[in-house]
Parts: sequence; structure tokens; C-alpha cells
Amino acid sequence: MELLWTISATLLLCSLLSILWKEFDRRRNRNCYLLDYVCYKPSDDRKLSTELCSDVIARNKRLSVSDYKFLLKVVVNSGISEETYGPRSIIEGREECPTHDDCVDEVDDCMHRTLDELFLRTGISPIDVDVLVVNVSMFAPSPSLTSRIINRYRMREDVNTFSLAGMGCSASPIAIDLVNNIFKTRKRTLAVVVTSESIAPNWYCGTDKSMMLGNCLFRSGGCSFMLTNDPSLKHRAKMSLKCLVRAHLGADDDAYSCAIQREDAEGRVGFHLSKSLPKAAVLAFAENLQRLAPKVLPVGELALYVLRGLRHRLWRSKEARTDAATAARVNFKSGVDHFCLHTGGAAVIDAVGRALGLTKYDVEPARMTLHRWGNTSVSSLWYVLGYMEAKKRLRRKDRVLMLSFGAGFKCNSCLWEVLRDLNDGGAWEDCIRAYPQQTLVNPFMEKFGWVKEA
Amino acid sequence: MPMAPLPEFSSSVKLKYVKLGYQYLVNNFVTLLFIPVMAAVYLELVRMGPEEIVGLWRSLHIDLIQILCSFFVIVFAAAVYLTSRPQPVYLMDYACFKPPITCRVPFATFLEHTRLISSDEKSVRFQMRILERSGLGEETCLPPAIHYIPPRPTMEASRAEAQLVIFSAIDDLVRKTGLKPKDIDILVVNCSLFSPTPSLSAMIINKYKLRSNVRSFNLSGMGCSAGLISIDLARDLLQVHRSSNALVISTEIITPNFYGGNQRSMLLPNCLFRMGAAAILLSNRRRDARRAKYRLVHVVRTHKGADDRAYRCVYQEEDAEGLPGISLSKDLMAIAGEALKSNITTIGPLVLPMSEQLLFFLTLVGRKLINPKWKPYIPDFKLAFEHFCIHAGGRAVIDELQKNLELSAEHVEASRMTLHRFGNTSSSSLWYELNYIESKGRMRRGDRVWQIGFGSGFKCNSAVWKCLRTVKSPVDGPWSDCIDRYPVDIPEVVKL
Repeated sequence: MELLWTISATLLLCSLLSILWKEFDRRRNRNCYLLDYVCYKPSDDRKLSTELCSDVIARNKRLSVSDYKFLLKVVVNSGISEETYGPRSIIEGREECPTHDDCVDEVDDCMHRTLDELFLRTGISPIDVDVLVVNVSMFAPSPSLTSRIINRYRMREDVNTFSLAGMGCSASPIAIDLVNNIFKTRKRTLAVVVTSESIAPNWYCGTDKSMMLGNCLFRSGGCSFMLTNDPSLKHRAKMSLKCLVRAHLGADDDAYSCAIQREDAEGRVGFHLSKSLPKAAVLAFAENLQRLAPKVLPVGELALYVLRGLRHRLWRSKEARTDAATAARVNFKSGVDHFCLHTGGAAVIDAVGRALGLTKYDVEPARMTLHRWGNTSVSSLWYVLGYMEAKKRLRRKDRVLMLSFGAGFKCNSCLWEVLRDLNDGGAWEDCIRAYPQQTLVNPFMEKFGWVKEA
Repeated sequence: MPMAPLPEFSSSVKLKYVKLGYQYLVNNFVTLLFIPVMAAVYLELVRMGPEEIVGLWRSLHIDLIQILCSFFVIVFAAAVYLTSRPQPVYLMDYACFKPPITCRVPFATFLEHTRLISSDEKSVRFQMRILERSGLGEETCLPPAIHYIPPRPTMEASRAEAQLVIFSAIDDLVRKTGLKPKDIDILVVNCSLFSPTPSLSAMIINKYKLRSNVRSFNLSGMGCSAGLISIDLARDLLQVHRSSNALVISTEIITPNFYGGNQRSMLLPNCLFRMGAAAILLSNRRRDARRAKYRLVHVVRTHKGADDRAYRCVYQEEDAEGLPGISLSKDLMAIAGEALKSNITTIGPLVLPMSEQLLFFLTLVGRKLINPKWKPYIPDFKLAFEHFCIHAGGRAVIDELQKNLELSAEHVEASRMTLHRFGNTSSSSLWYELNYIESKGRMRRGDRVWQIGFGSGFKCNSAVWKCLRTVKSPVDGPWSDCIDRYPVDIPEVVKL
């Protein structure tokens, strides 16, 4: 019957069309766009000068002379300037007994300043936020920091909030992973992520050297950023997320305990950084790169890598150089234009730069961020990104790789594609013209340089 | 003696039957319509006789190819429909931590310890009064570090407690389900008041040697309703990653949070919070549907943080002497009631049968348009759910919810008995309650369970589960050795 044929054909066509539409809709609505980000700039009265640092160190009467020397050496070699910021409780002399209010105020200041500016710049009202993620590793009060934000900005009742804690310095990509997964299940969702670290409650007042490093290196910082999967906001977005890789080496006991918060022999809580940390970092880094490379590199580069590897293996006996690292190295610069490296310290940046084959120009943003802001933990990647943007390096279709390490031991990375030419100064606005500093003359070096010889 | 309200009684009985009839009518509307139509068709067919029917069939000139085509198209359309539905999330099994007897804190022990630690007799008596009315029993447990006089809340002891409760629960779960740690794809841990670095999720990854590409998340500070937040997160992740499973750990670590001061609003948690943990295995593999216990139907989250009163209701702060603790405000019950109302407004339309929704809608319209004095209609949630797991936050919370939702004593029995046997174990209490219902042999295939959690913020979260297979008792779990003693009668005040 003709009617039956027509009905069958129509049903078939409808089914095919619906499948195609669902696929198209899924791809259109599931991208993760970065609308904007705001890095935290504390007030100038919180800057840590050389005088202040040495005063703070001297205040700890439990330290011996050799301990002082060790601390000063760390500070001198750190690559950090006098422009970095610390929490008020430390500057005002309360580092050993911070009150709950001190800790809360420190995080509040960061969250409120950055969020106020973020909502102002994007023109989006807090009422429109659907998902809120906060990650502050070492401070998790009750009610959570997400509740503090909801209360202040009077957000809706059905906001989905997540308060991540304890996830270390590489928690920024973890928060992005969380939001990205939520974006794939819902349409037209707006997410705000706040990343920061809390220093006030975590000051170590003992004498264990492995725990004193944290005191010297961590500085105040934070970032709030807004993500969305709404295609109608794409024209306002700065970047689009391409891929994200998380590698967790916690299964290995050495890796798990190389960066751990625990008590020292006298019962004082501190953040212990062990000597096996670089090894754990290398392993985590390798694991991450192994999974990242196929997603990030062009096919040609991958093929070259395979060929080089084969050649190395086949001609191994004839090769004078048996160093596997130099024989078969992948050129990440073929797939990535800019590198946001976690500013864990000068040594970390240099090591990662060497491993990836980066030039001075490539590591400059990370080095300068370490100099200007210190190690701001989770938010360091965003300050590095801010530097690149302020220097007008980010052009449309550029690819930016964010790479960070953290306690656990984790190495997380994510790749972004820039959607339009970016030139906001952001937190670097007032000082970008002074960078890059040709000679990183460390003010601590001038004053305490004698420590290097002693 | 006043005349018994007999006329009211008879009219209320009539009303009950009217209501029953109305519910049957509305909920089975389509079926009721279908029956007369089918009856008419059948009568017509019988009247026509077999030869006429065959003649009618032949006149349609349908041949084999066309039949096959239409069959193929129907199958295709059905496949399209099935694949476009969201991935189901199955609860394979769960395990709750059973505290060892050595950690027991009977009332006498608790009071003796408090007298030895505290200098203030008034606060000791205050805690005694709280315990008397708390609804807790003599078998609740506190972690070993708190048994010391004075308590030793070191970080090492907190980690030890975390390892004890979490690893026991996971070991139990592994034994029950045959789960291999290397197969875990997603790990979500929630513990509100203890978040060391590296996180508890990293601690689990280290102990069980999980894979390096496991997606782990550690939620902290989110209060007693965080267990359902973790389930929500796991569900979202399982929607995105096909053929995966997720391990969710809900716990609260008591060691670092024992309050050592004398402010009354902060002493309440000492009296109520006890040790507990739950490990839950979720999966989205369709082949697991056969072995799964429950299927997740809905998760609804409500956050009342925008209201200052609600926000300050459960608040961590320092007392006058600088000692940190969690203060509970006097408004807690009222705020819990309001948060529940908001949550119900969202979950009601998703779970209530048509009859209740229609009544609610009509009453609403009537109140708005006809007469605002009409009483608001409280939907009967007993029609939507067979079992209720209400967070065992405290006796007052359970009483309040029982009143608001018009539940019977049997519906809230699981919550009351869990509070009695295990105390307020925070986010894991919902799982102890579910285990109680199963241990009592009440969980049948097709039953629907409503889990309601409250927490600081102020949040009210609910989850709706559907039972996929009848759970046969005896059930292996924390209630296995004492279920026969329950339910017990819990007096209003236990004289100490």
C-alpha cells in the first residue's frame, strides 16, 4: 500500500533527522568556554619586603642559627621579589596563633574582590550562576566557602555548589574537569570557579627543615573565573577548552607521602616536602605527557616521534648516545604555542622547561610570575596566563597549555584554544611595563647574600 | 463528657473513600479509558465473525516486504528513543562502617569524661540534659583519640580515624561486590570537617592502588547533606563517561572537632555527633542492572544560603576564649522546615502521582483566585514513596519532619533507630537507615526510597531511589547482630 510506504519513509526520515539533530546539539552545547578570569591583587599594605621577611623569621625563637641560615638561603634562591603578598595575620605578628576570623577574612578578601570584579566585567548577575566551585586546599570551614559566596551574592536556591579541599596545588584543572563534566550533561549552564590558597592557618612554627620551606615559598593569591557552555556567549569568550588530562600517582607510597601535611616530632602541624618530591614530580609529569601527547600534538609530530623511537631502538648498539631522553624527544611546541607552568619554584620551572624543550621566551611568563607574585599555589597558572595576555602574546587560534603539579602526587594539564585576540592587563596592569626584568636582582640577595658563602 | 464527634468521624470516613476513589480515577485514567475502547473493539470483532475479519485483512493488500519495512522502522524508532534517554545510574551495593565495641560511649562514660575534662559544672549539666532528650542510645561510638582524658585531637589521630572508618567500609564493600580497586573509574569522597593535604581521596588511592587516571574529587565543608551532593556529582560524571563505575565515600571525622569549651550552642555537636562512614558503589553499565540493588531516579538540591538566618544556623566559629567549635542556632528547626518546603516544591512534581499534583494545583489556584484562607494542601508523600530515610540529625529534626510530611511512626522508625544505635553520623546516616530497612526485610522490588539530608549552609538535599530486587534478610551490615532487638521504645527523657 502506498500509504504504508509513505508512513515508513517518513518515520525513517524523522528518526535519521532526530539522530543527526541530537549529535549536532550535543556537540554545540557541550563546549567549555572561558568567559573571563580575574586574578586577585591584594592591597599594597600586605607586601612582604625583605625587612618584614627577616623579622618574621627572627620571631620564631625556636630556630637555631643554622636554621636561620637555611631559611635565608631558601628565600635568597627563591626567585621571589619584594612585591609579593602575605596574609595580614603574619604581617601583624599573629602567625603562630591566627584566629578563625583571620583565616576567614583572608579568603573572604580574595573571593569578594575577584568575584565583584568578575561580575562587573562580564556584566552577568550572580542570580544567573548555575554552578559554583571553590577550591581552597588547606582551609575548609563550616558552612563551606561556597555557602559564604551564596550568602554574600544572594544566589539562587538551586545553585549546584562544590567545595573542593585538600587537592593541592594542581586543583585548578580538577575544578575545570568537574565543571566540564557537568557541562556535558546540561545545556546553557553558567559556572563560576574560585581558586585560592589559605596561608594564615597553615604557618609552621616548628624547627623541621622539610616543613619550613612552605613558610618561605607560599604567597597570597587567588583567581575567580567564569565558564559556560552556552553557544550564544561564545563571541564574548576568551578561550575554549580542548582537552584535559589528570594523572594521579597516589598508588605509589613515595609519591603519596612526598608532599604531605602532618605533625612534626614535637606535634606541630606543617607541610612536609620530602627529598623524593622531584622524582615523584618527574614520574607524574611523564605519565601526564604520555596521555596528553596524542591529544595535543599534530599527527605529523606523533609519527616522527614513533619513527625516532624505532630508529633509536634499532640502531641502539651503533648509537654513541644511549640517552633515551635526548634520542626520542617530542617537540611539544609543534602543538602548543604558550605554556602556563605552575610556579612551584625556580628549579621546578627550569626543570619542566628543559624537559619540554622550551626557550627563555617560553618560560618567561612563569619566571616573571614567580618573581612578582611568588608561589600562589592553585592560582599561579592564572597569573601566568595574565602575564601572557598583558604582554599581548595571546592571539586568535593560539593554543595554551596549563600544567601544574600538586600533593597526592598529581600532575594535571589542560589545553585551551584562544578565541580572539586578548589584551586585558588584569592584575599585571600597573607593572607589566617593568617586565621582563633583565636582571632578576633579588633584593634578598643584596641583604642576605652573605648566607650563600657562610 | 462531651459528645464524641461521631458525625465528623463518619464524614471523615466517607471523605477517605472519596479520596481513594479520586486517586484511583486520576492515576489510572489512561487504563480506565483504554478498557471500554478495547471492549468495544472486541465486541465488534466478535459480531463480524471470522470470515469477515479475514476478508478485511486480505483487502489491505499488505505483502511481506511492507510488513518487514514497517517492522524495521518501528524497531529503529524504538532504538532511537532508547539511546536518547539519560544513562541509568545503578547502586550496586553499599557498606557501612560498624564501630568496634571498644569505642562505645555509654552515657555514664560520656558524663564522667566530661566532668573530668571540663571545669564548668553548668556545662556538664547542660550536656547531661541534652543527652537525656537526645534519642541516642548507649551503644554509639566515638573515635579512640576522644576517649583519652583530655582528648588527643592530633592530625595523626584524625588520619587514623579516617583510615579506620573508611578502609573498613571499603573492605566490606569489596567483599560484598567482588569489586577490584583497579576497576574504579570515579572516586568521590566527602568529609566535612577534616580535609588534610593530600586529600582523603588521595589516601584511598594510595591504600587501594587505584589507577592513575581515576577521576577523584574531595568535597569538604559541605555539612551533613554532603553525601547526596557526592551522589549528585557521581551521577553527573556517570552520565558523561560510558561503562564506568563510581565509588562514593561519605563520612565525618570526629577527632579534630571535639569542642573543649563551655559555650552552650557549641556543646551540642559533642553530644550528638558519632563515628560512622559509608562506601557506595554506583555503576552505569546496563549489564549491572541485573545485580544492582537500586536505581537512582532523582537528586534535588536546595541551598538557602542567600537568607542570612539560614546561613548562620550551623556556623563554625571561635568562642570567647578562642576555642573553635560549631554553634547551632535556636532557629534550626524552623529553618530546616523551610528548606524542606523548598525542596519539596521541586521534587513534588517529579515524584507525586497525578492525583496529588492535581489537588495541590487546584488548591493553589483556589487560594490565589477564590479565597486565600484555604488551607494549603500538603501533598501526601506516602503515595509516592514506600520508605523514608531522614537524616538522623537529632530527635527534634525527625519529629519536625514527621509532623511536616504527616508520616507515621513506622516511616520514621529507621531514622529514630539509627539515631539511637549509631548517633548522628552526619552524611553517612542515610545509609545506616537504608540498611535498617533492608535488615528488617521491608525492602521489596519496586519500592521507592526517599533520602533527605540537611546540612550547614543551609542545604536540604534529596535523592529518590527505586529498588530493583527484593532484599532478603538476614542482611550483612552494621545491624546484623542487633536488628532483632529493634525497634526499641525511646522515652522522651532518659533519666540519668
